[in-house]
Amino acid sequence: MEILTGLLNGFAVALEPANLLWCFVGVLLGTVVGILPGLGPPATIAMLLPLTFNMNPAGAIIMLAGIYYGAKYGGSTTSILMNVPGESASVVTCLDGYQMAKKGRAGAALGIAAIASFVAGTVGVLGLMLVAPPIAKFALSFSSPEYFALMSLGLALVVLLAGRSIVKALLAALVGLWIASVGTDLFSGTSRFAFGQMELLSGIDFVVVAIGVFALAEVLANMEAREETQLLPVPKGLKNLLPTMQDLKDCRFAFVNGSVIGFLVGALPGGGSTIASFLSYGLEKAVSPRREQFGTGVIEGVAAPEGANNSETGGALVPLLTLGIPGSGTTAILLAALVLWGFKPGPLFIPEHPALFWGLVASMYIGNVMLLILNLPLVPLFAQVLRMPVYVLYPLILGVSMVGVYSVSGSMFDLLLLMVFGMLGYLMRKLDYPAAPLILGLALGAGMERALRQSLMMSEGKLSILVSRPISAVMLSLAVLVLLVPMFGKFNAWRLRALEQG
Amino acid sequence: MTSRMSLIALAALLCAPPSFAQGFKPARTVDLVVHTGPGGGSDVLARAIAVMVEKEKLLPVRLQVINKPGGNAAVAAAHLAEKKGDPNTLGLFTGVWLQTPLVSAEAKVTLRDLTPIARLVLEPAVIAVKADAPYRTLAEFIEAAKKNPGQLKQSGGSNTSRDNVVRQLLQKSTGARWAFISFPGGGERIAALLGGHVNIMVIEPEEAGEHIRAGNLRVLAQVSEKRLAKFPEVPTLKEAGFDVPVVPQVRGVVAPPGIPKENVEFWQDFFRRLTRTPSWQKYIEDNQFEDGYQNAAELAKFYDEFTDRMREILKDAGVKTVR
Amino acid sequence: MEEGTRKPGDLWSGIALAALALTIIIQARQWEYLGPEGPGPGFFPLWYGVAMLALSALLIVSHLRRGYARGNAADWPKLGRAFSTWFALAVSVALFKPLGFVVSFALLTYFIVAVMYRRPLATAALVAVASAGGFYLVFDLALGVPLPVGVLGF
Repeated sequence: MEILTGLLNGFAVALEPANLLWCFVGVLLGTVVGILPGLGPPATIAMLLPLTFNMNPAGAIIMLAGIYYGAKYGGSTTSILMNVPGESASVVTCLDGYQMAKKGRAGAALGIAAIASFVAGTVGVLGLMLVAPPIAKFALSFSSPEYFALMSLGLALVVLLAGRSIVKALLAALVGLWIASVGTDLFSGTSRFAFGQMELLSGIDFVVVAIGVFALAEVLANMEAREETQLLPVPKGLKNLLPTMQDLKDCRFAFVNGSVIGFLVGALPGGGSTIASFLSYGLEKAVSPRREQFGTGVIEGVAAPEGANNSETGGALVPLLTLGIPGSGTTAILLAALVLWGFKPGPLFIPEHPALFWGLVASMYIGNVMLLILNLPLVPLFAQVLRMPVYVLYPLILGVSMVGVYSVSGSMFDLLLLMVFGMLGYLMRKLDYPAAPLILGLALGAGMERALRQSLMMSEGKLSILVSRPISAVMLSLAVLVLLVPMFGKFNAWRLRALEQG
Repeated sequence: MTSRMSLIALAALLCAPPSFAQGFKPARTVDLVVHTGPGGGSDVLARAIAVMVEKEKLLPVRLQVINKPGGNAAVAAAHLAEKKGDPNTLGLFTGVWLQTPLVSAEAKVTLRDLTPIARLVLEPAVIAVKADAPYRTLAEFIEAAKKNPGQLKQSGGSNTSRDNVVRQLLQKSTGARWAFISFPGGGERIAALLGGHVNIMVIEPEEAGEHIRAGNLRVLAQVSEKRLAKFPEVPTLKEAGFDVPVVPQVRGVVAPPGIPKENVEFWQDFFRRLTRTPSWQKYIEDNQFEDGYQNAAELAKFYDEFTDRMREILKDAGVKTVR
Repeated sequence: MEEGTRKPGDLWSGIALAALALTIIIQARQWEYLGPEGPGPGFFPLWYGVAMLALSALLIVSHLRRGYARGNAADWPKLGRAFSTWFALAVSVALFKPLGFVVSFALLTYFIVAVMYRRPLATAALVAVASAGGFYLVFDLALGVPLPVGVLGF
């Protein structure tokens, strides 16, 4: 009942014409910065911050939050069309999204990304509205051993990302772990693998590596042949540019999976949308009846990570609004904004400012609808990009990659790294090493090492801490299961063959 | 969005330039370089300064924030060093600018290589435990730590951060020993304390404020020379019976090397005027900072002393120093 | 390439990875493995270094144990095209400092269209100018995202 009155009051706030306008401005800006690689939500919000001082705080937070979740809708666009992940959370979308585009299903991929974003984004807001306090409590029960188990589960998924050779997949993942440990060690201040370069002291940016081994390597591999025709088939007719009923049916589980994983992982202060998107992709693949087709352009491989990425927003707002704890760069700057407007985010924020909280929640429902209406018509439009002849498209992809990398850090050094990883990605393709495990190892490596060392510091060196805590024990067993299942499969196949021969 | 952004620029340009007595005034947009990405502590302060400069019409030109993240401030420091002689670039430094060159051979630019301008704020800290913890005073915590050496835990940042320095100093003066667990983000640190995974934390008063008010945390002592206005009941370290040096978290402004003396004078005066404005006073009160203004000469002396002290503390903590 | 045939790439990449693993292990051994506070900076790298060494050894051994079936030889003209694209890209990145993004990106595009795809020079020039100009308009002018600037100021 309390929730219902809260929500009604919230809609009263969010439906004020001015706030409605700010909501629209926010989601529109978000979509734009999401589509363009580089300029991410934190930078955009930071730039607009001075403007919000003269605004009514409700309108301001509605607009800034709109940028935050709106950017996640657009994030998948370049991943699908160009294999250029615009932000770390849309790296996973490249795996099946770009393959779909290559098969002439770019429209379906973009469409399902928007629909999954809408469904899961809305579920995330529902979660924020209904279960914020218990979820916050659950998030606090999570500590280093649980994070280690979560990351191990994520890394175990590497066997699912493996191509023909599991040895090569594991080697790629280990190289990812190595790249993750470049930089200054948090615990001791030791510089590791920095090769005397001060730019490497804070490590290598995940997005630079991903753009290098995905986008650059893709262009280099395609440059091998001098194709004169257009690159990718784009079907004619609006109907063929949107997901079909069968597609939606295939994605039923992905919607649920993405929504739940995104929200839960988002609520963890050490979680984040990158891990959420990887985990939901892995889970989707693990339970799928057509597991072996993942990575060749299956639609649920786009829906699950895109959903998780959007549901994560609702999750990430839980610790921010109920505890004043930010989990990422974007929520950190939202927190700073609230403080600058004179609020004190923390455990008393929602009870003391119900209108603001409920107004934000209501505006997020409205904003998600706006985003769906805004994004679906863009799908056929964007799909036309692929009609360009290859000799226009490839330089364009190279340009987008370079601008995407440079605009994040403004560093020439990162462009050099991009070149190095582009070459690495190309060589890996030629030598049959899958790129996805490398990215996974890189995404999880630093967090995994940290969580392991923190756990062992907590337990004074006793490894038993990892299995004596229930959540961590369950997740570690799952990880072992994930690692063992394919081996059983192989064993089974071998046994059957042996039986036949016998 | 474009039109909105250029609108700010236009509005700023239309502001009538105030007159200045000195010979130097910046002719183009001034870059304020910070070492964090958007949302980091220095970035937020820098953007707040940019807003105040506009609101109080302190400069004839706009002040824009430039993010040069990376290398634990080494990248930002090197960027300033590259801008040798440029009077329109400034950097907002914190303690990490000072510590990174001490521990990383790769970070070649020390604060000494840049031109000191002004120190702005000191950020005090408080020592907090969960409200249901058995320790009522810091002495009780220290006693408990002595009884179970290495069993109690503190969450904090890197091992060169102020949190660990306070711990090292307390451990050295009392002989107690407890573990220090590093977390990269402030959110994870406080979550570990609230979740009961660690026992104690050195925390910024602003960060702890709402949790204290909600009854989740209890403050045992404050790391400052005198009691903060918001914590009149809580003893300082010295009052609690622990005579250890107070380690401030400091923020201030530096300029590239080799800029003329009159520019230094202009900027140190500019920041003095900034710290006298009502907006600034309100900002530091809201954030519970201490006004720590020092001019260029005082700042140079401060960071020499601070570097020496830091080097010793790090050595005591078993951290290898390279400079 | 069939599974089970002997690919020269496996041998060379296996050796390179084994060398990387050895470097990692040697480096990691110089850092503290277990300190008074807990695992040190050498803890994690040592373990993944060892795992990498073991797996790359496995790769090399399984390569050597396969029969002498010949794998496909490298297709040099194809590799040549990819490498020259990469090299052109590297040159254009190197030219960002003197020429700025817009000019050197236009040059890169011109090279790809005219040389790699053998399109008419007029087409190449048109594509180059249009796409470099497009980047300048969208990112620099409209969004205020700074692109690398050359000595000429754009």
